[in-house]
Amino acid sequence: MFAEHICLTANEKINDITRRVNDLKEILLGNTAIALGAVTAGVRVAAGYPGTPSTEVLEGVAKYNTDGKISVEWSTNEKAALEVAAGASWSGVRAIVTMKQVGLNVASDPLMSLGVIGTKGGMVIVVADDPGPISSQTEQDTRHFGKFANIPVLDPSSPEEAYEMTKYAFELSEKLHLPIILRPTTKVCHSSGTIEVDTEVYQYEPEGFVKDPKWVIFPPLSYRRHLEIEQQQKEISALFSQLPFNRIEGNGRIGIATGGATYAVVRDIVESCELDVTILKSGAVFPPPDQLYGEFLQRVEKVLVLEELDPVIEEQLYHIMAVRKIEKPIRGKLDGFVSPAGELRFENTLKIIEKFIGRKLKSVENESGMVFPQRPPVLCAGCPHRASFYAVKKAMRGKKSVFCGDIGCYTLGNGKPLEMTDTCLCMGAGITVAQGIKKAEPDTNVFAFIGDSTFFASGMTGLANAVYNGTKINVIVLDNSTTAMTGHQPHPGIGRTMMNTSSPKIDIFSVAKSLGAEFVEKVNPFEFDLAVKTVREASEKKGVSVVIFEAPCAALVKPDNVCAVEDCTGCKKCIREIGCPALTVRDRKVEINRALCNGCGLCTNVCDRIIRL
Amino acid sequence: MDILITGVGGQGTILASKILAYAYVIEGRNARTGETIGMSQRGGCVVSHVRAGNAHSPYIPVGGADLLLSFELCEGARRISYLKKDGFAIVNTASIIPVSTALGMADYDAEKITKYISENSNAIFIDADKLARECGSFRAVNTVLIGAACGLGVLGLSKDSIVQSIKKNIKAKYLDLNIKAFHSGMKTTEEMKEKCKVI
Repeated sequence: MFAEHICLTANEKINDITRRVNDLKEILLGNTAIALGAVTAGVRVAAGYPGTPSTEVLEGVAKYNTDGKISVEWSTNEKAALEVAAGASWSGVRAIVTMKQVGLNVASDPLMSLGVIGTKGGMVIVVADDPGPISSQTEQDTRHFGKFANIPVLDPSSPEEAYEMTKYAFELSEKLHLPIILRPTTKVCHSSGTIEVDTEVYQYEPEGFVKDPKWVIFPPLSYRRHLEIEQQQKEISALFSQLPFNRIEGNGRIGIATGGATYAVVRDIVESCELDVTILKSGAVFPPPDQLYGEFLQRVEKVLVLEELDPVIEEQLYHIMAVRKIEKPIRGKLDGFVSPAGELRFENTLKIIEKFIGRKLKSVENESGMVFPQRPPVLCAGCPHRASFYAVKKAMRGKKSVFCGDIGCYTLGNGKPLEMTDTCLCMGAGITVAQGIKKAEPDTNVFAFIGDSTFFASGMTGLANAVYNGTKINVIVLDNSTTAMTGHQPHPGIGRTMMNTSSPKIDIFSVAKSLGAEFVEKVNPFEFDLAVKTVREASEKKGVSVVIFEAPCAALVKPDNVCAVEDCTGCKKCIREIGCPALTVRDRKVEINRALCNGCGLCTNVCDRIIRL
Repeated sequence: MDILITGVGGQGTILASKILAYAYVIEGRNARTGETIGMSQRGGCVVSHVRAGNAHSPYIPVGGADLLLSFELCEGARRISYLKKDGFAIVNTASIIPVSTALGMADYDAEKITKYISENSNAIFIDADKLARECGSFRAVNTVLIGAACGLGVLGLSKDSIVQSIKKNIKAKYLDLNIKAFHSGMKTTEEMKEKCKVI
């Protein structure tokens, strides 16, 4: 009964429609498609914290918020964002919250409880996973969080499907009174597809917040809800077996079970090699569509499971085999047939399929023997972080020091020639890891570098911890007035919100003072001698010190002059010391690439022969 | 039609892929792109995949590209294996020397790299940076290269669709400059075609 009801509404056309969004076929980035799907579904509150590959979702909502009816915010961190969205949902409005996979670790406290308490207005939690990983600390798989918190998970295979799934997720959430996790991966987030956009937006009148004991989590309520939720899982599983996002394609005796972005790769291979296989496509992946999985297993002789990150579908299939007493050979990650780590692209997936079916399908040319110079990402020319790192390096030269890093552009400070990042764990951890090192090695000068946005996200509690427990560390706040790594989002220290309204500017200096740091100083890192002197002074203080290096991100300021080298001796000290990408070598002499040079002048502190023009 | 666009973070490859993909949509075809966004942007290698037609996944397989549009010499060479045997490469001769080379950790030998590209593909070399600067800004490299591809006649797109797509995807302020750059690139390869009868 329950499942039928939902199927009907999923396929229903939205009636209550009045507003036009666009009437063209659009090329949309997966993340932008999710944003437009949410706007079309009538989202009213959107919150998130930037993180690759998720950032463009919230930016997309802001972009499509042309009449300003949607409240869109960059929250201080993912936990704050998820709670804001939960409150909005409890008041009956549709809400979306966006983050990258490691952000969900920060937001896992409200997530787990929200899975118990549930929601009212449709609530979608977009969590972008990053197989590879390409720009993340971990290769964690958010599908596990669905199982952990009993929250349904949708896993789009393309930007087109992400658009449809987002709209559906809001409906599903309202039917189930549960939040829905939409889990795109990088290949969906950062690829674009041709999308026929809806012309109208879902309209509704929210009921508002209605006081009810069900919004207050207490042990007896949790117990009761736990029973209900477990029962609900079975009903959702039955529904998911009927959902078009989950389906069986083809009639071959060889089965390939796949889901998410890997489905698209498998389809490309199956079509280009004209393979006779049966594909199980898993799109609504948790709770698993037991009925559909059972049917698939009955139809095939053997199964290859192709999925990125963890063997979630694979374990689900083993479970169904055990429950339904089916026995079919399964190859995948659990038996080491498929690599446990990294992306599945056409080339490596083809090789796995060839190995599985025991014959060669296509010859893929090998890479040539020629070796090309590596091009690792570097701090931009003119980046103030380079000056800050160099100032600390110079101030501490010859002294026993450890430099703890954090998450942001400045993680690139680990590269040659600066080599100023000795540790990096997770957001905000630089400050607290530094305390542990100091406790274990009291004779070491321990520094923690943290960006301005990261400081607000999760640096303040760590600083309070150092002051409270009397651990002498030196915190260096790299304040470039933006969240640079993810594409320049505003944060609480800027005085501007993402919708470009002004807001109170939270001053890092005052925060550090009121948290009780003994020494707090602001300095422009390009006033290089003063910067070096300030760092020395900070390190000599007994108590916790905070030096705030203030200078805007180089990508946001236009240079008013550039530097040049006069009569270069070719010693290359400038390159060896600071490694700015604008410093290049031609005919054994250093030249400054004027197209790249930002005129910061840091190199003039290294060599007298470099001048500002 | 599969086009691989390659370059260095900050050169405008993503905008180029958007312009091309949208031009196919204007002509009634489905298109998709795959982009490198994130860590790799900060002066790292970037690759954009543009696929017109019925491909499901965003990435072009090795040996599958009909056209390689390279914004930087070494990056073109690095991705030459993505080209089909009968595919074309349009390569910007401008070099961006990586920090690893400046630090003496790796060689950047432009002559050797150029030879490698010529030996392994049907390649056309143009100084797109110079053409872009002549049109008003080095940032117009992307429209110069799109123009070059159009002039070579390998995109399967009409000139009008591309111009329409450029108009949709580029801010009004920079439009004239970019249209000029597009024509400059187009003229260059049309003349080359005339001279060498490459196609």
